Amino acid sequence: MLRKNLIIGVYKEPDKLIDGVIKLRKQGIEVFDCFTPFPVHNLDREMGIKRTRLTVGAFICGSLGFLSGLVLQFGMMVFDWPMNIGGKPDSYLMLPSMVPVTFELTILFTAFGMGILFFYKSRMLHGVREDILDIRQTDDTLLLTVEADKLNGNKQDVLEILKNTGAIDIRDHIRQH
Amino acid sequence: MFEAPIRQPLILGDKKFADVSNEICSPIENKPTKAWWFGFTLSFVCLMALVITLFWTVWTGIGTWGINKSVMWGWDITNFVFWIGIGHAGTLISAILLLFRQKWRLSINRSAEAMTIFAVMCAAIFPLFHMGRVWVGPYWALPLPNAFGSLWVNFNSPLLWDVFAISTYFSVSLLFWYLGLIPDIATIRDRAKTKARKFWYGIFAMGWNGSARTWHRYEVVSLILAGISTPLVLSVHTIVSMDFATSVIPGWHTTIFPPYFVAGAIFSGFGMVLTLLVIARSTMKLENYITIGHLEAMTKIVMLTGSMVGLAYITEFFIAWYSGVEYEQYAFLNRATGPYWWAYATMMFCNLVAPQVFWFKWCRTTPWFIFFMSIIVNIGMWFERFVIIVTSLHRDYLPSSWVMYGPTWVEVGMFVGTMGLFFTFFFLFSKFLPVINMAEVKVILKSKE
Repeated sequence: MLRKNLIIGVYKEPDKLIDGVIKLRKQGIEVFDCFTPFPVHNLDREMGIKRTRLTVGAFICGSLGFLSGLVLQFGMMVFDWPMNIGGKPDSYLMLPSMVPVTFELTILFTAFGMGILFFYKSRMLHGVREDILDIRQTDDTLLLTVEADKLNGNKQDVLEILKNTGAIDIRDHIRQH
Repeated sequence: MFEAPIRQPLILGDKKFADVSNEICSPIENKPTKAWWFGFTLSFVCLMALVITLFWTVWTGIGTWGINKSVMWGWDITNFVFWIGIGHAGTLISAILLLFRQKWRLSINRSAEAMTIFAVMCAAIFPLFHMGRVWVGPYWALPLPNAFGSLWVNFNSPLLWDVFAISTYFSVSLLFWYLGLIPDIATIRDRAKTKARKFWYGIFAMGWNGSARTWHRYEVVSLILAGISTPLVLSVHTIVSMDFATSVIPGWHTTIFPPYFVAGAIFSGFGMVLTLLVIARSTMKLENYITIGHLEAMTKIVMLTGSMVGLAYITEFFIAWYSGVEYEQYAFLNRATGPYWWAYATMMFCNLVAPQVFWFKWCRTTPWFIFFMSIIVNIGMWFERFVIIVTSLHRDYLPSSWVMYGPTWVEVGMFVGTMGLFFTFFFLFSKFLPVINMAEVKVILKSKE
């Protein structure tokens, strides 16, 4: 992000930020990204962010957990070393006893699979250096950024819209290497 | 969206976004108060009781406990179920109330989830040390290949289900909690004035910058995690109840146990949340975030779940009579009128009768009284587990093996010690992490309840 030339609109109100996004996109100007200290309702929709496919990933991980639960228990209790304890079944008839462990492993795999996918997709890892544009963007300031290089000479329009929708400050961010 | 004019705002004091950050971060950025040091020291001393009693247990053996034949589960499993139950409120608040879109959860979910994690840690200690040789615990409890060839763990046993349930519960709760903490840790990182703080919070913030794309994924992940945590939390206490219900002991062998344990867990969990938050809101000056409205909502849940538990007690009694099984009938009669009648009476009073005061508005809105009641609930729910475990075990089918059970100093020390562990962690949490979810509270600043 820091390696791009950006025009930054600084907002203090989420409603005004959304207003800015809507007006920019009406003019055919794509918003590069917004940075907010809290989730802003509907901002993703207005920015045209496609719905994440993390849910599909979660389903696949969950199915994997479900299968591994069954494989684990069938493998150990039925195929490898059947144990008769208290006369309880050690064949496929013990399926009802397998419900709790299978269920827990489904949940475990779903949660961690999705967590890992989330961190991977968001490029988050312990010790990653944050690239923040404004020290208050995690506190009380909302930023709207537009890529300056992708504008076809309509920079003036962008500045106009940002100003009119209530940006308290408009800055240029010059590419850093 | 239409909002009725009579509704109170969720967060009082007409806060700006920056006010939230300043106020919630102030305990982290300033030196701890005297009250904090006092509480922390007291908890730490109690924690040492845990260290000593566990050392003594391992050094000498389980014979240092008062458990005997036939009361093979005593204070240890009572405490285990007690702590697991306390954990449940955290997940209920953050997951189930999220699915129901209850916005009042947002200023209490962080501390309730922290409570969940610490409570599960306390709980795990008891069954682990009850195994005796704790150093070979993983070898018994986990499906590992072992020295006897491929002799595996017994998947027909509810105790093994418990191992899976509790470890899944702990790790998923930890993930959920940490995920919620990341944006707030990033806030502290960007406010940090010392190098150490910038470094440590920087590591745990994982490079968070509040991008709208990340927030989009983040909200989806939170929702799915809430969706799977809801059946998880119900399953955990269901499985804990199966430790009892799948046995053939009169007093344990009842199908009502799973729903009754889950209701009890939520009841006791909210009791502990109230105990902690009533103190935290006044000592940490959070009255504008954790308002009387929040306390009132929680007391209503306490009353509801308390009544559900009470209904279960009565149903159990009725079914014991209706079953026509004389052992079952005797077990329940003995529970209420036998030598442990005082424990049964305490349980009935604290869990069924006492919470009915919350029908009155004054009781629901007076913090010191709510605190008092929350202690009653904690005591009552501890006694519930004691009653279920000890009264069912102390009189066997064979009258010649009837015994009484009382704890030794080691068992008492362990319980006090886990209290110490719980509160030590809670004090550390309140010093180093934001006790209120800043990012989410900023969203609802202008919302009504």
